[in-house]
Amino acid sequence: MLSLQLQKRLPGFALDVEWSAEDEVVALFGPSGAGKTLTLHCLAGLVTPDAGRIMVNGTVFFDREAGINLPTRHRRLGYVFQGYALFPHLTVEENVGFGLKDRPRSERRRRTGETIERLGLSGLEGRPPRELSGGQQQRAALGRALAVDPDLLLLDEPLSALDAPLRRQLREELAAVIREWGKAAVLVTHDLTEAYQLADRIVVYEAGRVIQAAPKSELLWQPASENVARLMGIRNILRGAIIKTTPDLIQIRWRDHVIEAANSPSHAFQAAPESPATFCVRPEYVRLIRKDRGEPNPTIHQNLLEGEVVGEVDQGAVWTLYFRLTGGGAPSQGAYDLEIDVPRIVYELLEIGNDRRWAVFINRSSIQLLPNA
Amino acid sequence: MDFFPIALSLQVSACATALAIAIGVPLAWLLARRRFPGRDLLEAVVVLPLILPPTVLGYYLLVILGSGGPIGRLLAALGIDLVFTWKGAVIAACIGAIPLLIKAAQAGFESVDQILEHAARTLGRSEWSIFWSVTTPLAWRSLLAGGILTYCRALGDFGITLMVAGSIPGKTQTMPLAIYDYVQANQIAEANWLALIAVALVLVLLLGIGRLARVRF
Repeated sequence: MLSLQLQKRLPGFALDVEWSAEDEVVALFGPSGAGKTLTLHCLAGLVTPDAGRIMVNGTVFFDREAGINLPTRHRRLGYVFQGYALFPHLTVEENVGFGLKDRPRSERRRRTGETIERLGLSGLEGRPPRELSGGQQQRAALGRALAVDPDLLLLDEPLSALDAPLRRQLREELAAVIREWGKAAVLVTHDLTEAYQLADRIVVYEAGRVIQAAPKSELLWQPASENVARLMGIRNILRGAIIKTTPDLIQIRWRDHVIEAANSPSHAFQAAPESPATFCVRPEYVRLIRKDRGEPNPTIHQNLLEGEVVGEVDQGAVWTLYFRLTGGGAPSQGAYDLEIDVPRIVYELLEIGNDRRWAVFINRSSIQLLPNA
Repeated sequence: MDFFPIALSLQVSACATALAIAIGVPLAWLLARRRFPGRDLLEAVVVLPLILPPTVLGYYLLVILGSGGPIGRLLAALGIDLVFTWKGAVIAACIGAIPLLIKAAQAGFESVDQILEHAARTLGRSEWSIFWSVTTPLAWRSLLAGGILTYCRALGDFGITLMVAGSIPGKTQTMPLAIYDYVQANQIAEANWLALIAVALVLVLLLGIGRLARVRF
């Protein structure tokens, strides 16, 4: 259990955040310079907040009002720094055993040995960090942090120092290590895939503030604001006007069309008619209708729209199409109305390269309304 | 030729370097790692000996350490006499050379990435333990370079030593003072030899130890 509320002013930057988590992996996600690392430093006691309160597993780390500021060395944390911060003058074995100095010699040796073995660093005990590959350095840093049996693991951009192919492999390894050691962890990252794959809960940072904190699935499907939606990589953020809302349906006027979105009876979206509405659709949820399967059927094909592909980008496994609706008025996103992602195989089978006019549909449940700012 | 000045100089410089390390390393660490009121002033004061005329430094040392001065009286009460003794020469050489040590050590400490010290903190180490197990091992080349420079500078001190310890042959006359006396007495051969020995000593120190530890000055 971790609860954190803190404020810290630095020249040109102010951090003011509050979030909490159960025993789980939390990702602090957001652009560079949003205050994620500073939060981690405050959590570890490397930086003293100006105000606030930090509590981990019932221990007060910091409480401005009560005058409590537990020194870093008593916080029982395992901190994996960005770039790893391995001690360059010590061997792998000495690095891993560094936090065990106060333990009896036999215990120190046993724990160091166990950790090195579990992390697959056997045979590298006597090497200095500069002779290790990026992946081995990461594991040595993890080992050093885990050897002291910390209550909480802090990971600052643990994969950002690595090349892309290695990154992917190590992301999976890291996920396995975190699961296996069963640690609560706080992970700082600006990579959504990393946050999504490693964390249970995501706290979204922007400019020194938390703009949403939620379990990761909720974050992807119910972004709390346009900014969160953008940070989460949702590219079709569209503006229309409410026609009416019912407990299970929201009707929006968008361009010359009536768009219908599913409303959830449990936490229903309500808005007065004619009020502005911002909604979003993930590009992979805008679906092309095959021409060889008969005419489009409005009862199956919800939110049926017609238009033309006006641009495309080959992303490798996926093609991104820029789709412009037929009909008057300026397109809603510059030169186009919708971004559509189609798998490469679909692009090839439907010969989209030669055939530019398409009908598309969007399931009601694929449209999410964003709260008005 | 009298070898006493050489032996005395080596001894005085060794003691002065040890004293400079004892005082200078903690000061350098403070300057490199802590922000406190008066830090800028301290940073300026520690380089003063490089800039002030040696006679001015020597004069103030005499005032402070002499029998009328505050520290001098305290030392006298303890039965310690510094002025016009070889111990006075140690103090003089130390004051003259300590800026080199402090600056080198400070630069060395500053070159150690603070994230490494942070890492040690999260691993449960105390500040004292971090100093000995992280900061110093990573800054030791700079510390060694500073130590060698300090020793060489102490070997060459003239003005401050003359003011505080005098130039008493067989008692406080160090190598530079002896060279001066030889020249004054027109004993050019002796002056030549001693000057050559001084240059050789310093060169051997700088090159030999410097190369051994791959130190950059």
